[in-house]
Amino acid sequence: MNLSYSSADLAFRDQVRRFLAENLPVDLREKVLNHRHLDADDFVRWQRILYQHGWGAPGWPAEFGGTGWSALQRLLFDIECGIAGAPRQLPFGLNMIGPVLMKFASKAQQARFLPRIPTAEDWWCQGYSEPGAGSDLASLKTRAVRDGDHYIVNGQKTWTTYAQHADWMFCLVRTDPGAKPQSGISLLLIDMKSPGITVRPIRTLEGLTDVNEVFIDEVKVPVENLVGEENCGWTYAKYLLGHERTGIAGIGNCRRELNYVKALAQRERRHGKPLADDLRVREKIACIEAEVLALEMLLMRVASQASQRGAGVESSILKIRGSELQQSLSALQLDIAGPNAVPFSPDWLADGFDGWTPDPGHGASIGSFYLEMRKPTIYGGTNEVQKEIIAKAVIEG
Amino acid sequence: MDFSYSEEQRQLADSLRRFTEERYPLEARRKANGFSRDAWRTYAEFGVLGLVIGSEHGGFDGQATDTFAIQFEAGRACLPEPLIPCAVMAAGLIQRYATEAQREAWLPPIAEGREIVTLAYQEPCARYDFARPSTVAEARDDGFLLDGEKVHVWHGAVAQSLIVSAWNASAQAMSLFVVPSSAAGVTIRAYPTLDGTHDAQVTLKAVRVPKSALIGDAARGEAMLESALELGIAAQCAASAGALERLVEMTAEYLSTRKQFGQPLARFQALRHRVADMAVQKELALSMAHLAASAIDHPSVIERRRMISSAKLIVSRAARFVGEQAVQLHGGMGVTAELAVGDYFKSLMVASLRLGDAEFHADVLANLPIEPEARARAA
Repeated sequence: MNLSYSSADLAFRDQVRRFLAENLPVDLREKVLNHRHLDADDFVRWQRILYQHGWGAPGWPAEFGGTGWSALQRLLFDIECGIAGAPRQLPFGLNMIGPVLMKFASKAQQARFLPRIPTAEDWWCQGYSEPGAGSDLASLKTRAVRDGDHYIVNGQKTWTTYAQHADWMFCLVRTDPGAKPQSGISLLLIDMKSPGITVRPIRTLEGLTDVNEVFIDEVKVPVENLVGEENCGWTYAKYLLGHERTGIAGIGNCRRELNYVKALAQRERRHGKPLADDLRVREKIACIEAEVLALEMLLMRVASQASQRGAGVESSILKIRGSELQQSLSALQLDIAGPNAVPFSPDWLADGFDGWTPDPGHGASIGSFYLEMRKPTIYGGTNEVQKEIIAKAVIEG
Repeated sequence: MDFSYSEEQRQLADSLRRFTEERYPLEARRKANGFSRDAWRTYAEFGVLGLVIGSEHGGFDGQATDTFAIQFEAGRACLPEPLIPCAVMAAGLIQRYATEAQREAWLPPIAEGREIVTLAYQEPCARYDFARPSTVAEARDDGFLLDGEKVHVWHGAVAQSLIVSAWNASAQAMSLFVVPSSAAGVTIRAYPTLDGTHDAQVTLKAVRVPKSALIGDAARGEAMLESALELGIAAQCAASAGALERLVEMTAEYLSTRKQFGQPLARFQALRHRVADMAVQKELALSMAHLAASAIDHPSVIERRRMISSAKLIVSRAARFVGEQAVQLHGGMGVTAELAVGDYFKSLMVASLRLGDAEFHADVLANLPIEPEARARAA
């Protein structure tokens, strides 16, 4: 047992810090740290900076153009990026379909799709949830019927994040309606420019339209865009969800938002002094910081592969704790801002906005973040579904 | 970073687990009333009592991670003996701060299991305060005269010696003294505790001790005691993590066997989700026990306090939560004195209240610097 960082780990962390200090554009950092909205170009710009530095795919093995980093290095990278205020690297290509293609796709598919992910040439979206299939994903109804060299796909996907920017969608479809729910599903790669695809935005609580409904009407998908084997899509979907062990916890976000909480407590004042001097407020901050520390240490254990349990349970525990903590941090921001969290308009956080906002000016950032943080306990399998996975492992072994 | 046990740690942990499963089962542990002479002898044979003691004094030069491995097992087995106050805190304190002559005199008997030493540092109406005791040590030509009252002396009933904190006017500081329990003027009143062990209240009335009883530097008592408390907290966190693991297992087993409404309790989602919540808390506690172990040798006092108090805070809360849930999930059986779940529950409750409870450590943390990291300041 050795519970401290190796000198190589520390050198790596310094290297990441230096890189971020030198290469993270000030305007992007400014947006992220102040909860302002990022547009598609912002994500692409940062992804290409990382790519040019050789860090476009932190989670990928070197043979596919990744960094080949260890899990611990990736974790340190996530933490440093979070603290520095780097835009997140979109997970849909890098962490979701990428690893699935590496494991299950044909050489031709790998050569065609993988290299375009770290370069941000292709923007991917996830075609999983449907109006009638959320937590119960296996009941999905989008139908794909083989017709010569093509599948004809009909159906509807929903909660599709950034479908409006996406070039491709990895899509779960039903290819055998007679089979048991899990065994009749296939994974198709659908060109979003295909005739018959319609993207309709869904407005969410914080006023954004980042998620969408995607209507699929008689869309022709070449059979070479089937991943792996027909009717084996459920296996790939499960692999996809369990693949990313530590990223799901959002520890970088937690560290960043903890800093936001502390800075906010220094700015907000009561009785003529900063809230950061008030022992009751300090105690709340200190306790949440202890919880962040506990999550981080849990991640270190998982990254070091200390735990003997399957990836599913670890991911579920991390997902629950990370999402709850992000919510707690957003709630604490709301508590510390008090009445200053009331002023709110989504435009105030939009790109290029430089109009007047009511003093002290940070209101919309806090309200928006608080509303946005309702999502993490729901997406990626609700926390209740995660608890079911954990309970099954603990009780049934 | 490497969280796996070394070969030696694995062997030591396995021996201890085999011993508790085969030769020291729950019934025997209950009968021991907090202390079994046979068990103590076995701990000495295994090297547990000399773990943190230097090899030149009959110990094993163990590190904080070795203590972690042992304490995790001790907690899993809900061992009642004073391993933490004696083999971790007292031994650790003497090993780190006593003079060579004192180490020579005091450490071998601890390692061999011949002498139990515990700390007497808490006082009436002072909760967890330890820096400014009311107990006084008056310097005399041939030594010191100690007067005062100590409470919550952990396993004080079975200790042959006490490490007593006292305000030492001649040094203008709190100093620490080793006082034999049998010394004239020492009155020890033992009493039972919530977890079925025994603590003591200790009165010191004009107790004469020689100069050699003063541990290390007379001016550094506070730092030495804080360091012993940190060792104790790290060990306690590991023990609690072990107990939590066992408690989650026991609860899962019970839910699988007990049937109601024609099916095992394990089928009911309201109960399953509680088990999941318990498992999450157990993992956090275990993670923080690792953090506490890693904090022991951290060079910065502030960072060490932050890590140690964060760990004790999270572990104490987890202990309370998981313990209470375990009792609830065992239903009526959970409130009987029959099942092991009750023993673990009570042991965890007491652990959450020793060495600073959650409220105490939250207060410590609230008084540490709270600044955003420099590289993260929003412009």
